Amino acid sequence: MKPNKNRRLPSLLGVLFAIVLIAAACGGDDGDDGDASPTTAPAESTAPADDPPADDPPADDPPADDPPADDPPADDDNTIRLGIMGECEGAFGGFHEDVVAGATLALINGAGATSTSADTALDGFSGASVAGVPIELVGIGCGDDTADRAIQEVRTLVEQDGANVVIGPLSGDEGIAIANYALDNPEVTFINGISGAQDSTLAVRAPNFFRFNGDGAQWNAGIGDILYNEGGWRTAAVIADDYGFGWTSAGGFVADFCAAGGQIVSQVFPPLGTTDYSSFVQQLPNPDEVDGYFWVIGGTGTNASLEAFLNAKGDLTGDQHAGNLFFSPALADALGTDIAGAYVGGFASLPGDITTPEIEAYLASADAAWDTLSGGLTGNEPGPPSTALGFGFAYGYYTAGLAFVQALEQVGGDMSNNQAALREALSNLELQAPYGPITLDENRQAIVDTFVAQLVLDEASGEIVQQTVAIIPGVDQTFGGTYSTETDPPERDNTACEPRDLPWQGNSIPVIDGVPQR
Amino acid sequence: MISLSARNVAVALTCVALILLPAFGSDFFVDFVATRTLMLGLAASTMVFLSAYGGMVSLAQWLIFGVAGFAVGNVVAESGRGLNLGWGPWTGVFIALVAATLLALLLGILSARSTGIYFLMLTLTYAVVGFFFFGQVTTFSGFGGITGIDPPGFFDDRPKRLYYAALVLSMLAYVGFRAIARTPFGLALQGVRDDPVRMSSLGFNVQLHRTLAFTLAGFVAGLAGVLNIWWNGQIDPTSISIGPTLDLLIIAVIGGISHLEGAWLGAFVFIGANIYLRDIPFLGSIEGLLEERLLAEERFNTVIGLLLLLIMLASPDGLAGIIARIEHGIRLAFRRSNPEGDGSSLRTNGQ
Amino acid sequence: MTSNAAVTQIESHRSLLWLESVTVAFGGLLALSSVDLEVVEGDRLAVLGPNGAGKTTLFNAIAGDITPSEGKVLIKGVDCTALPSRLRPQLGVARTYQKTRLFPGLTVEDNLYLAQTGKQRRHLSLWRNAKDAELRAKAREAAGMVWLTDQLSAQVADLAHGQQRQLEIGIALVTEPDLIMLDEPASGLSKGERERLVELLEALPVDSTLILIEHDMEVALSVADRVVVMSDGEVVATGTPDEIRRNPLVHAIYLGEEAAS
Ligand SMILES: Nc1ncnc2c1ncn2[C@@H]1O[C@H](COP(=O)(O)OP(=O)(O)OP(=O)(O)O)[C@@H](O)[C@H]1O
Ligand SMILES: [Mg+2]
Repeated sequence: MKPNKNRRLPSLLGVLFAIVLIAAACGGDDGDDGDASPTTAPAESTAPADDPPADDPPADDPPADDPPADDPPADDDNTIRLGIMGECEGAFGGFHEDVVAGATLALINGAGATSTSADTALDGFSGASVAGVPIELVGIGCGDDTADRAIQEVRTLVEQDGANVVIGPLSGDEGIAIANYALDNPEVTFINGISGAQDSTLAVRAPNFFRFNGDGAQWNAGIGDILYNEGGWRTAAVIADDYGFGWTSAGGFVADFCAAGGQIVSQVFPPLGTTDYSSFVQQLPNPDEVDGYFWVIGGTGTNASLEAFLNAKGDLTGDQHAGNLFFSPALADALGTDIAGAYVGGFASLPGDITTPEIEAYLASADAAWDTLSGGLTGNEPGPPSTALGFGFAYGYYTAGLAFVQALEQVGGDMSNNQAALREALSNLELQAPYGPITLDENRQAIVDTFVAQLVLDEASGEIVQQTVAIIPGVDQTFGGTYSTETDPPERDNTACEPRDLPWQGNSIPVIDGVPQR
Repeated sequence: MISLSARNVAVALTCVALILLPAFGSDFFVDFVATRTLMLGLAASTMVFLSAYGGMVSLAQWLIFGVAGFAVGNVVAESGRGLNLGWGPWTGVFIALVAATLLALLLGILSARSTGIYFLMLTLTYAVVGFFFFGQVTTFSGFGGITGIDPPGFFDDRPKRLYYAALVLSMLAYVGFRAIARTPFGLALQGVRDDPVRMSSLGFNVQLHRTLAFTLAGFVAGLAGVLNIWWNGQIDPTSISIGPTLDLLIIAVIGGISHLEGAWLGAFVFIGANIYLRDIPFLGSIEGLLEERLLAEERFNTVIGLLLLLIMLASPDGLAGIIARIEHGIRLAFRRSNPEGDGSSLRTNGQ
Repeated sequence: MTSNAAVTQIESHRSLLWLESVTVAFGGLLALSSVDLEVVEGDRLAVLGPNGAGKTTLFNAIAGDITPSEGKVLIKGVDCTALPSRLRPQLGVARTYQKTRLFPGLTVEDNLYLAQTGKQRRHLSLWRNAKDAELRAKAREAAGMVWLTDQLSAQVADLAHGQQRQLEIGIALVTEPDLIMLDEPASGLSKGERERLVELLEALPVDSTLILIEHDMEVALSVADRVVVMSDGEVVATGTPDEIRRNPLVHAIYLGEEAAS
């Protein structure tokens, strides 16, 4: 450290420190008025490189970011600079291609865009415009399933690349972080991708954050009702991953099951990443003490936890088990076909067994837009684009993009006045999406149609497949008042268990052989 | 006697440039690159301080940094997860600094007996325990974390002020750490680093020294953590998971873990690489060579890994070490042409 | 510290150092087995013995770097057997190490300055005060004693091996101890430096007590007024330098071996 040479250093830097203090005071003032006008030319000599992630650099400057309230929108020229916030690393990193493709397909179908590449959406698109206003992709954010990274990425999209509309993000904690960021950045419009944390809309309520997909609780609406009334369950135990999505999914089941009259006798929350579930399964009641179990354990934990149950408590039977969307037909490979009959909660898109003309047209448009896509469902190997787009991740981003395009169309591409007209249109949109209509509530949260499926034994192949049994229409975020802006976000077992009237009770639409009986 | 060594001149010039930066840098650069560089550099400087002067490579600095953030969140936030005390932001700062310092004191007491790789592993364990603590204990956070934390009004929506706060604290920490090295305490700490056995036989309480140094570093890491929470607005357990913990180590190693200024240098390179390198065309061709589409993040990790490797091969003590060696060369040349010299001799660091 | 002093023996009270059947075992190896030793104020004691005899281990046991498995170590009547090494300087004990133990990241002056602050509370201070100038002056004086005045601001890592050995001694002397223990101080020194070392040691104040491990018989026997010979962890002979020179046993186990090697 060459310490003996530094005797004069403290005094030297002391003087500098004084200068800093003065400069800080001035700098603060500079910040107040200096940013009222859009700043300098793009050539910032201080930045080592200025290339935004997308191929085409933004025509304009990033909008100034401090005191945003009195910041005139830098985009009165009606240029739309779109950022897509994906997740290229972390738990859902494999779905990066899927979600970017979802948003891109909306622009291809609704705004005349052309994908740059025939086998990936990640290279961007060109030629998009709505009502004569060009839409330019300025960047694709690369999240890693953490909120911190989401903030960094979205700030790069907005503050460096100059995005004025952002579609995304993918997962729950990211969604809350970005909704909070939206509060501080009212000049940008955010349309959620597929993240499903309840807080993002119900608690944060940023006026410029819109979500056209359900939250984790909404996706499990209807299943409790069916289990109570058709499965004959009166009591249930819940085992769920100990984090936001686990709590929210479990909360949706609890709210729905209790509304129908059921009782929750036990809730167990193993930490994420648990490998040995035996001690958690031990805490569950025995099969003769409870009518059934609801599982919300994702990833590699799904099989591990069910196997622990097999070892500790005996058979897994379809009439005593149900789960959220993690409860997939693949389980039967390891656990046997006794699981047939189990009910499974919904997700953003509908299972593949449902076909309607709208769905077929949507999937066909995906196959027309690309030759192949290396999405998450095909293990990031090239596969049919419709496989990726038929799954909820891509579909969530598709509905976001579609809502944006349709709202923009309605207002004739008017982005002026802090995008006021666009936001008004988004809030009131009746989105005719391929898997069902979507409208928003007063918190800009989607009211969606979700579904309940069942694992059934396919007689022909002898394999367990997923079959949709009902569509639950008009599911809103509040579960008839169980959740409100006053309640805490779902957390472990804080969802109140009370009988209630839910708007969708008794309105479920049966699905027979893949055809909804509307 | 002139103490304006090339090193000090370079540092002073950098300081002047940083003071003037907001006048000519873009908002994005100031807020996103420079402020974060200063915050992460400040956090990394505590790691460098402990390593360079105390011989302790601590992986708990990021945890302490995070605990300060969680403390601010719990104290300040009015709704959502955590305690929701809803107290004033400056109360939050005070409590956060007390919490960070006390935690550092406790961890320092627990780990003062360990050295070398054992110390590293022990502090890594603290980091992991911290992650699960905040994940599991929903009283303070839970995995969802604490969101929507606003800085005090003075800083709210005024990124330049936050920048200057980070700059002032960084400069204070830099000057302070270097000044401490000359005090009886600092000299003794370096003695503990070089030979704890001899220090003990000379009458020093080696563990007490380690503990106090760790506590001091914890306080400064807490300051960085407070700035960070103001900048970031939210914190959750993944903010202090093993990934970012190791990122801080990478920052320190890139910059040079035996030179204080290396902390900020490393932070700048790390953040700059994250933002600017991920799309350079050259990497696209690496991608082609690998015949596989590397996702941007994997590409970034590859780049950072390569960068780290290159720097380590070129200079085991990081970028600051390279600069020190250039300075050494210049001075040698100068002294040869001017045998009187300035009387100060050259030495390499004992690390 | 005196509170837990166990002054068990009348004799021990008078002696500066009193070892009573001190035993140190490394696994099965008895590095010291039941060593008794008494050193009184003003003694100049040389400890001789072949490699591996246990001389350094004896120092370690006295200095607190190793806790004996059996026996007692009393310094100035204070039972130090289980006290950590950092409490020795208060009792006026200083030692050097056979394998140099310095602070290579600091300068020579800082090494000598640091050595003095160990005994004082001020080594926790974040401020320099007037006392510092005094300690610095002493450090420079000590550097002069070990012929390092020219190297005062040199970093220790850059010193030659011989210079580092000199500093090793300087660090022990600068604390002005009552009991100085030097572990092979002459190793690594040139012939001329050895002669000066002898001068230096002979010039120490008469009341300072010296224990010296030294392979160089010339150095050892010219400085010492009493000699202890060790072998295999045991004290096998004690006496004046002349007696030891004449002792056939010593010739057999030590001098003979030296001659042979
Ligand atoms: N820390 C230790 N662990 C195990 N064995 C040890 C240790 N220190 C010393 N020994 C052993 O104890 C015995 C005595 O060692 P010691 O260093 O005291 O000898 P010495 O008389 O100083 O020899 P030399 O003249 O080589 O310095 C040797 O056999 C040595 O190998
Ligand atoms: Mg020895």
